[in-house]
Amino acid sequence: MSVLHSILRTMDRMFPARVADAHCDIPCGIYDPHHAQMAAHTVIRMVGLINDLPKPGPNDPPEKRQEYEAKLARYIATKEQHAELVKHEIRILWGDYFKPEHVQQFPQLHDLVWKALKAGSKARQEVNLQAAEDLLKATNEIATTFWKTKGLDTVTVKAPYPTERMTVYPKFH
Amino acid sequence: MFPLSRFRVADDSMRPTLLPGDYVLVNRWAFRRRAPVAGEIVVLRHPHNSSHFLVKRIASVAGPDTVFVVGDNEARSEDSRQFGPVARGLIVGKVWVAAMR
Repeated sequence: MSVLHSILRTMDRMFPARVADAHCDIPCGIYDPHHAQMAAHTVIRMVGLINDLPKPGPNDPPEKRQEYEAKLARYIATKEQHAELVKHEIRILWGDYFKPEHVQQFPQLHDLVWKALKAGSKARQEVNLQAAEDLLKATNEIATTFWKTKGLDTVTVKAPYPTERMTVYPKFH
Repeated sequence: MFPLSRFRVADDSMRPTLLPGDYVLVNRWAFRRRAPVAGEIVVLRHPHNSSHFLVKRIASVAGPDTVFVVGDNEARSEDSRQFGPVARGLIVGKVWVAAMR
């Protein structure tokens, strides 16, 4: 540790220096599309739960209606949060992980991200199974691209979740 | 205006030249009388977020008033390869002294 560094560190304690090289990321280099994929499955699951929730009839007691509304509100809130989470995670991969050389290698990447974000918005705004399916599809394709840039092959399997939709995992040899 | 500014380096993008925790003293008057040249290390404002500062090396002078900046650690650096050439007005100054940790 140099003398100059010690002096500056002491000064820094009293009058903090401005920070250079702080874009919003560390960057830590730790990225994974799994969060986005899980959240996309959650959106599909919530659409299913909303559609399957029995609606109270006109002769049902108010408690029944209240129970219905409480459940519906929770499913909607979770659907919205997770649709937004997918978008957030995909933006991180897109903006921070993927580099211009990846786009050269996979020219469809920008379009794929755009589709995923649009589907994410639609799945958030509406109770729309097709939008949720599109969101998962685009997210899985982004996951496949992500793992390819890491030099890893992927397997597409039925996810071990109640959605029973397909999901992409990296293949570790 | 006092010509020197202190900055603390926060990440890896200039590794191995600068490491997180290093301090740099920046001469804000360095480019008053001359243009920056390739190879110089400068502190600049992030072109998309002027409250964030970056420390980068000038890779080339792109035009009369723009420069192309790249981090020494290319794998870990966000720089002109993403945000393109930057206006000279965004350059705070030239790194005059680097105090290594």
